[in-house]
Parts: sequence; structure tokens; C-alpha cells
Amino acid sequence: MSAKKDPKKLTEAERQERDADRRERLVTSQQGPKVLTLNLKEPDIFAAQRLNRESLDHCVKCTICETQCPVAAVTPLFSGPKYVGPQAERFRHGESVDHSLDYCSSCGICTLSCPQGVQIAELNSMARAVMKADHMPIRDFLIGETVLMGKAMTPIAPIANAALNNKPIRIVMEKIIGVHRNAPMPTAQSQSFVSWAKRHQPAKPATRGPVVFFHGCAGGYFEVQTSIHTVEVLEHLGYEVIIPTQGCCGLAQQSNGLFTQARKTVRKLCDQLRAAGKDLTIISSSGSCTGMLKHEAHEIMGVDDPALIDVGSRIRETSEFLMELEDEGTLPHTFQRVDMTVPYHAPCQLKGQGMGMPAIRLLELIPGLKVVESGQACCGIAGTYGLKKEKYDVAQAVGQALFDMVVDTNPDLAVCDTETCRWQISKSTGVPTVHPISLVHRAYGLDK
Amino acid sequence: MNDVVVVGGGIAGLLSAARLVAQGAKVTLVTFGVGGLQLSHGGFDVLGYAPERVDRPFDVLDDFIAANPEHPYAVLGADAVRLGTDFASEFFGDRLVGNDGRNWLLPTAVGALRPTYLASPTMVNAEARAGHDPVVVVGLQQLKDFQAELIAGNLVKQQIPARAIVLDLPARTHEADASGLTYARAMDRADYRADFAKALGKQLLSGEKALIPAIAGHHEAAAFTDLQTRLGAPLAEIPLPPPGVPGMRLNEYASRRLQDQRVRWILGARVVALHSEGGRAVSVDVATSGHLTKVRADAVVYAPGGFESGSLSLDSHGKVLETHLGLPVRVPPGRLIGPDRRSEQPLFRSGLAVDDQMRVLDDADRPVYPNLFAAGGVLAGAMRWSEKSGEGIAAASAVRAADAIGDLA
Repeated sequence: MSAKKDPKKLTEAERQERDADRRERLVTSQQGPKVLTLNLKEPDIFAAQRLNRESLDHCVKCTICETQCPVAAVTPLFSGPKYVGPQAERFRHGESVDHSLDYCSSCGICTLSCPQGVQIAELNSMARAVMKADHMPIRDFLIGETVLMGKAMTPIAPIANAALNNKPIRIVMEKIIGVHRNAPMPTAQSQSFVSWAKRHQPAKPATRGPVVFFHGCAGGYFEVQTSIHTVEVLEHLGYEVIIPTQGCCGLAQQSNGLFTQARKTVRKLCDQLRAAGKDLTIISSSGSCTGMLKHEAHEIMGVDDPALIDVGSRIRETSEFLMELEDEGTLPHTFQRVDMTVPYHAPCQLKGQGMGMPAIRLLELIPGLKVVESGQACCGIAGTYGLKKEKYDVAQAVGQALFDMVVDTNPDLAVCDTETCRWQISKSTGVPTVHPISLVHRAYGLDK
Repeated sequence: MNDVVVVGGGIAGLLSAARLVAQGAKVTLVTFGVGGLQLSHGGFDVLGYAPERVDRPFDVLDDFIAANPEHPYAVLGADAVRLGTDFASEFFGDRLVGNDGRNWLLPTAVGALRPTYLASPTMVNAEARAGHDPVVVVGLQQLKDFQAELIAGNLVKQQIPARAIVLDLPARTHEADASGLTYARAMDRADYRADFAKALGKQLLSGEKALIPAIAGHHEAAAFTDLQTRLGAPLAEIPLPPPGVPGMRLNEYASRRLQDQRVRWILGARVVALHSEGGRAVSVDVATSGHLTKVRADAVVYAPGGFESGSLSLDSHGKVLETHLGLPVRVPPGRLIGPDRRSEQPLFRSGLAVDDQMRVLDDADRPVYPNLFAAGGVLAGAMRWSEKSGEGIAAASAVRAADAIGDLA
């Protein structure tokens, strides 16, 4: 933080960072009620957040959000998105008036369902960041450090996996850190995606030009296979896949209310992705990180950086991208038969991107493959929510109907677009769960 | 015609999509939020007041049309209303009963009697046209949207022998204030139905019908019948203000069925532009997160709802606008706002003008595009809530638009 530098000589990024920190201090250090001060001289960061507040006047109290909220459906601990969102916000003025807000999982189903455009989930995420600011649990800092986790676990993968599957260790972890003993954990891989990519040679020369691949932290360290499948399918289609050095999108920090850290993280990532080439399409198999870049960083944290807007407009979730090719008539249908019925769950943060469910259309291009959509709002995990010891039971109750549906549809394979949701589904059902691209990879005959 | 975009997820959008799918079209339905059917009373209106209460809507339709030449029913004709109603009746199957020419007359949550043409089978035991059996209105301590004494008192004024009781039976422990939906979720469980039947059974007198709030099950279709059997007396639901389950049941059934039939379903995004080539609509822009997504269309059914859905709005200059695409709006002449709350408000007759094929017309009565159709609450000329005509208009216009698209092929 370059606080002593002449303010006139600050770069745009430094200036925004300074103001973010200043604002955060304002919020955390004030005596008495915490007030979220809107700095009108810096509309950059707060423009979107101010719009969120103004959107509450569009609420007509139709209660559609209340009916769709997966958390309020299973527990009275959360009083529901309308009460905690547009209603409580009127009284909030920075101060928390309804602590059940902490039980909101930030799945965003309320905003998705609202016919009047109220930014319900965004308001709640903003308010929670303020509410938690002066008593942020250590755990919530730690679980946001996803890259660190991957870096630490990869070199000692067998030990790390054994530790995370060891009951006594998990009980100690629950007591000390507050991560529930039964919560799903990623499986460490002995090879990171980056080290695979370094040695990887495309099977054939590119014929379609370059695209950028954003693997995300989970896709870099834990869901390495999903990343490899994505790259191999894109190369099979004729793309040159550029994989820039890249960090985390900051989603886990954001959802835990650590906005200052998350803003830095997402800005840095945008610079890294942009360095790979101007105007190139960016493709990601991390459904929720894609949502962070497309809209959450802007709409929840108010980041108005042109770099973010640029990246957010160029990024496509993998199935979304392949269906764009299909709609243009350039996706080859050279699929082998896959005779199977699979349950498919579109994660809440994927649905929140307002693009429907491209994975269903994609998978049903494969002859023999029948897709059964879960019809459920959320699997419960909502990023890091379902890991927390006090939220674990709620998260399991949220996911129960989905778990039942998965087991009933196909006990051998389920399909879902985001990492933590796959871990949640497979941990709670015992059913191996893959990204849609893995079935496309198989159908194109690329599985070895 | 292969690719059709339906804009709107209310009953007009749902029924258009259903009709189009049946014709073999590939349908993309774009809806900004969950559609308004969920917010309805869970029945299907054709014509309830004209302006006196209507007992047999199809018997008076010709007179109504003659008296209201700008009304969507006049543009469509009585046969189209019949066709639309039959299609809806078939689509919803045993979830809506009636369709015998007569309106049901059913109590509301304030104890008024409301006419509707097709009703949920869970409500028809409360039918008030026929004899007046004694009823007991059953409130719940924890459900504030259903005041049993108010309802019973108003029913008595209408010569229905009614009394009120209130049960103290929480849907979830420690919840002092629960919604009808929370109760309906509890009613999905057999153990809760048993508790409810037991508590109510103790207070039920012989020969009484029990009128309960609309909470008899959300996902569990057999909940109502099971509860009635446990009780051993006629049972009827009275619709609740949102979040009420009768509308949700219909909406969830319709949405799920269409998605299973592979209507491409885009929830949570606005349609922000309509593109044309050579005088025809060719695609719409959908504001998905981060970027616009172009969806190709051989025809478009525009069913985004009216003022209540934010699709029509009155600006500070007194101009009525169609907010999404800026289509030409037909506004009634003269004063738009009546002198007081109870007078007629002509503003609400504003909307899109259409020809008899449901093609949107410009100010000179020419189709804006030959393949742009409108349906439902966005249409000009109706007072849907006071007439009780909303679903009838939606179904008739949806079916006509879909059939016109079929004819284009």
C-alpha cells in the first residue's frame, strides 16, 4: 500500500486500492454503528453497489424470492431473502439489523428469480461484509486462500489426502478452525495442471486461431483432469489454447466478505488474463469463477475497473462456448455413442449467469446420452458455506433432494459444472461427479 | 418455422411454448425472473364480471365483445377464447377442474365470493353457488395472512352459515410467523397431516365442511386427498396472498413439463433488442451476464406481461412506454387516471395493439413485423383484474399466436 506517495502520482489501480482500503477502514474502525459510507468522489467502486441499494425500491413484495430460496426452505435460522434483503436494507444504514443474514449462502437464486430486477443476493452479500467486518473468523480468511491450499497440498498429495480423510485430524480441524468434520474436501493431485501444460504438446496443429484458458484455482490443483479435458477438446476442435500464468478470482474471499482482498485478487487475475492477448475469447470450466468475472465482482463488490469489464465480456463457460459454436454451425458432431442416462445439476452460480443450461443442449448432442436435469436450486455447498461447522447441516438439508435424485438417476455417474458442487455431490452420494466436458471428451474419442 | 423465441414466463408464455412444442417447433423461452402464474389464485378466469357477476361466461361473451370492441376478446373472437380455454384445460389436466360452461364461486382470503372458470380440485368443495352447508373456517395461530374470523364473518353476511376456529399448530418449531408455503411444505409430510387432522377433527362438528388456507401440500400431490380422508369430512382450500401454493403448483408443473420437453429455458435475463432483416424479425439479444447472447428466431411471441410486470410504464410526461423493446403502445383516448381510487382507470387498457393473428401493430395498424406476435397481459384493451379475464386472454392469444406461427411454416 503506497499511502505516502504523492496522490497525484498514483496509478489508477493504486488509487482505487487506496480508496478501497480507506473505505474498509471507515467501515471497520468507526465507533458506534458501522456506516457504509458512499464516497461520491469515487463513484468507480460504489456505483454498482449504489445501484443495488436503489434496486430495493423495485421490490413489489411478491415473495417469489422467498419461495425459491433453498436455505429458508430447510431452516428457520434464515428468515428469507426478502426480509433480510430489500426490507432490512431500508433500516440498515450500514448497521446490521438482522443477523440471520449470516445464514444466507449467497447462492443468488433470489436475484435470479426476481421478476423486478432487485439485486437481492448482492445487497445481502454487501451487508454481510459490513456485518462481519469487525469479527471475521480466522477460518473465513483461511478458506479463501485457495491457491495457497493447492500449492501446499500438491507436493504432498498422498499425505494431504490421507490427512483430510482421517477422522481424528478432521475432528481437531473442526474444533480449531471450524470446518465441519464431514464436509467435502478437494482431493490433492500429485501433478498440477500447470506442470501438465508445460509438458503438453497439442495432438494436431491449430486451425481455428487462439483462445485463452482460465483454469481457476481448483482447476489448477484439484480438478486437474477437468482442465486437461477442456484443453484437449478445444485443441481437438482446432484451437490454439493459450494458458497464461494466473491466480485466483477471489470468489471465496468475496463470499466470505473479504472484499478488499478479493478486489485485489480479481484485478490481478484480469491483468493476467488480458496479457494473454487482446480480444481473445477466454474459456473456463470453473462455472462459478466465470460468474465472478462476468458479474459478481462488479455487482457485489462494485469493481468498475475497465480490465474487469473487458474480461467479463470475453469470458465463456466451456459449455456456453461450445454451444455458441453449435449455434454458428461450426461444432463437429463427430461424437461416438455414449449410451447412458446421467443426472445433471446446474450449480446456482452458473444459473445466476442468466444463460440457461447450455450443458444440457451440449450433452444431448451426443448420441445415446440422456440428461435428467435435477430441478433443484442448489447443492447446498455454495462455495465454502457448507464447509462451515455451523452451516454444514443446513447445507446437507439443502442438497438432500438433489442427492436423492442423483442416486435414483444413475448411481455410477453424475454431471455438474463447478468444482465444490461436484465435491459436495460425490461426498454426499458416493456418486462420481464430472464436468460436462469430460463426457464430451469421451464422445470425441479423446479418452485414452 | 423452426426456431421460436417466447419472451415471458407467465401463463401466456408457458401456453405459447406448450402449443409451439406440440407443433414441433424448437422453442427458446426467455424470462426475467419467475413468471407471474405463481402469484395467481391457482384458478383460471375467463370472464367474471361484465360488469355484473357472470355465471356462464361463454353465454355472455358475444354481448361482452359487442360492448367492448377494443378488447382482446373482440380481436380474437369467442371461438378463440373457447379454443384457448380448452387448450389450457387439457394442458393442466386434473390440476384444474370445471370447463362445464359455468363459473365456480369460491371464497377468498377475505371471505368474498369470487367467480373463476377453472378451479383447483382442492378448492371446489367450497363452491357457494349451490346449497349452503355449514362451514368452519380454520385459521392457524402462526399464519397471519388468513384471518378465520374475518372470513367467516363475511361469509355469514352472504348467507353462508360459517364459524371460525384457530389452531395452534406451528409448521416448524419456534417459528411464530410462518408463510403458507412453509405450512404446505410441512403438509408434504404424512406425520404433519396426521397432527393437523387430529387437531382439526376434535373441533369439527358433524355436517360441517372445513375451509382451510391453501396449505395442503406443495410437492406432494396426494396431500390434499390424504388430509381429507384422515379428516373424514369435505375439505377445501382458500387461496392465500403470495407466497401461496396454488399458483406455484401450476407454475412448477408447467415450467417443469416444458423444460422436460426441452424448451430452452433462459431464466434471469432480459430481452433487450429485436433484430430484423428484410422487414422480418430474425433474432433477439438476451442480456446474459457479461455479454449479450443472440438467439436466432423465425418468429417471436412477445408475452412479457403488463404494468405489473414492468413491461409497460408511465413516464413523468404522461407517456406510456413498452419498456423492453420500445414497441408502439396503444393508449385509450382522454383521461388516463380516474378521479379517485374506485373509479375506472383507463390507463390500464394501454398495451400493444394486435391483428387477429396476434401480430403487433404499429400506429397505422400495420404489422411491425410479419413474424412478431404478442400474447397475454401486454395486450391493449382489457381490465383483466376487474373483469377476471386474465388467464382467458392469455390462453386465447397464446394459442392464436402459436397457430399463426404454425401457419407461417
